Amino acid sequence: MIRLQGVSKRYKGASTYAVRDLDLEVRPGEIFGFLGPNGAGKTTTIKMIVGLLKADQGKVLVNGHDLTLDPIAAKRSMGYVPDKPDLYPRLTGLEYLNLIGDVYGVDGPTRSKRLAHYLEMFQLTEAVGDLIQSFSRGMQQKLALTGALLHAPALFILDEPMVGLDPKSSHLFKEIMREHVKQGNTVFFSTHVLEVAEQLCNRVGIIKQGELIACGTMEELRTGRDRDGSSLEKLFLELTDEGGSYEE
Amino acid sequence: MKSRVISLYSAMLNTHYGLSAGKYYYIKKKQRLWEPLVIVASLGWLLVLAVWFAWMLTEQLFLGGLAFGQPHLALISGTLIVSVLGLFFGFFNVLSTFYFSNDLSILLAWPLRSWEILLAKLGVIVTGQYVLNALFLLPIGIRYGLLARAGVGYVLSAVVVFLVLPVIPLVIASALSVVLMRLVNLSRYRDKLTLIGGILLLVIVFGGTYWLQQNVGTDDPSVLLEQLLSQADGLVKAVGRVFPPSVWAAQAMAYAHTSQGWINLLYLVASSALGLIVLHVLGEKVFLQGVIAGLEGSRGGKRRKKVVLEHVERGAFLTLLSTERKLFVRDPNFALNGLIGYVLLPVMALLPLFGQNLEGNPFEQLNFGEMDPLLVMGGISLFFMVMIAMSMIPSTTFSREGRYLWIVRTLPLSIGQIIRPRVAAAQVVNTVGCVLGLLPLSYLFGWGVLEVGFGIVFGLLLSSVVAYLLVILDLSRPMLDWINPIKAVKSNFNSIVGMFGTMVIAFLLGALFFLNARTATLWLIPLELFLVTGILGGLAWFLTRNVAPKLWAKI
Repeated sequence: MIRLQGVSKRYKGASTYAVRDLDLEVRPGEIFGFLGPNGAGKTTTIKMIVGLLKADQGKVLVNGHDLTLDPIAAKRSMGYVPDKPDLYPRLTGLEYLNLIGDVYGVDGPTRSKRLAHYLEMFQLTEAVGDLIQSFSRGMQQKLALTGALLHAPALFILDEPMVGLDPKSSHLFKEIMREHVKQGNTVFFSTHVLEVAEQLCNRVGIIKQGELIACGTMEELRTGRDRDGSSLEKLFLELTDEGGSYEE
Repeated sequence: MKSRVISLYSAMLNTHYGLSAGKYYYIKKKQRLWEPLVIVASLGWLLVLAVWFAWMLTEQLFLGGLAFGQPHLALISGTLIVSVLGLFFGFFNVLSTFYFSNDLSILLAWPLRSWEILLAKLGVIVTGQYVLNALFLLPIGIRYGLLARAGVGYVLSAVVVFLVLPVIPLVIASALSVVLMRLVNLSRYRDKLTLIGGILLLVIVFGGTYWLQQNVGTDDPSVLLEQLLSQADGLVKAVGRVFPPSVWAAQAMAYAHTSQGWINLLYLVASSALGLIVLHVLGEKVFLQGVIAGLEGSRGGKRRKKVVLEHVERGAFLTLLSTERKLFVRDPNFALNGLIGYVLLPVMALLPLFGQNLEGNPFEQLNFGEMDPLLVMGGISLFFMVMIAMSMIPSTTFSREGRYLWIVRTLPLSIGQIIRPRVAAAQVVNTVGCVLGLLPLSYLFGWGVLEVGFGIVFGLLLSSVVAYLLVILDLSRPMLDWINPIKAVKSNFNSIVGMFGTMVIAFLLGALFFLNARTATLWLIPLELFLVTGILGGLAWFLTRNVAPKLWAKI
């Protein structure tokens, strides 16, 4: 579903790479958690996958489409929710959702059905007619999520989706990820919350200083080398500590 | 230690007018030095023109007024124009600075009294007003002083008048907006409030003209003019009924050497001080509640309309066009800056029409009524083209998105599909604005349907290709890192470059039309318009196809 081949990115004026020579494959039908300490390169990687940043080197393939050669087809197959979903404050929630629906070509009946479903689920049905500027952060995040799911994307990408959410909303997010994968789709998300990754993910990747230092199922990571039955938290601390490295 | 208000004022002044950023880039870092040069090249000639116009007008009015014993006609005109403009623009400035700026949520958390915030913000607006006033008042004051051989008293009085004059119009505008903000639940009705305020001000201006006419007691414009000019201080008295401070200001300067002058100056200063006291009280009692009501937004409490989820499907083009238009019109910072030109033109044309006083109308004096239809057509085309650049809609289209640009960037659309609705949205607003401005002008000068119709058609074509180029200009270096939306339009270099470039094209085409008129080859005008549209259109097509995708990927 996602294939990164030798992807590197260095920001203008920076002395180090934000992402360096990254190879990663996310398979269809899995929930993939992308972990790493602050500044490790998670958001940069995600931005390159969704087309917000251009990789200096390497190839990004989404659903078989090369993001450089065919960005439109690649984007059509994914839905993205950023870490801080800044949505047009002067549109109403419904206007925003209809904008997304129109651009992704979601037909009227399907749109109404999905909107009713998600808005009901997120308890936004009454507020959706209000201007987005009056929404709380959590409501904005739910609205962004509804927009990203409106066209039932094969690949669902979320950057730190749990930040700032109350426990109920976090639970809802997790349920949605599971539901989405059950329908044969793929979820790729970054997070700091290791418990979430542990509960949800089929596989996780750990990135540090722009390089992927571990990738595999929880079981593979736990039993790898001498780490017999370590928790993800212990594993993460071990791997992201100076000098720690692990290869599948 | 600076007082809190002074400190707050300096900080706001620095951020509002980008002074700190300018110092940092141009003086400390010595970077982007070409920017001030382009700004001077773009706006310098307008400045020179305005000063020259005020200088010449003062001379004419002084000599004309002298014959009727009213040589200070120029001073009265200057102070009145400055006051009315201050009131009109001040209202919108006050709304955007007091209520729609993003710093209020920060300021309210600080240990500041509400009047301190209000005063610092008013100070920032007054400072801006001084710069604008200087354009009109300085040349008028200096020219009048030279012609009247005025002494030291005049200079002293003029300095005080200059400093005090912007206060009253801005206090009125502030009081009006503070009260309106308290009465209406703002965050939900911002757009409507702005519109209502604008209409209210227009009503005041038209009403004032009508009232003035009624009070003089005649319907005949020539008799009215004669009465105003023939009575000693007739015009002064008439204007004084509508807006006394401008008369006090003019008389304080004109009679500076007499007690009458000093009394008028006292009136002006005292009324300004009184205005500030009223504002202080309003600030304490009303301002804070209004701001908090705005910040609270529409969350909870109110009765919501039932939302209907069914929606008519539209293609990407129409939905993006509609979104672009909504986002532009709904943000008063964008809408006011972009649409003000469209409002001013019909108002300027209609104002004398409403007062039935065609004599002295600047448009009438330009003899537009006797122009060749082909010239009219060419002029209308240029008007469409210039206005689309002045609106700043296409030249700031990506910049206005700021941190929301991620939404469009992640949509499965090519850059061509993204540019087209933006051009169309700009053109929709431009067409409505220009046609509304053209209607009173066409009526006034008796232009024919054909020349106006063809002018509009050529104007649409020409302004569309220019809009394409302006959108690509903004795409090449969008200003995305703004916090205050007003910066995305007012402090955006792309809008200045866009206006300058369009002015150059308009100037060259205008010169060509002038040559056509001189050489009796006016029939060439449609061909020239076609040719220029074709060249610019070809350039736009090439850039959209070959350059825009690269620029889009680079952002």
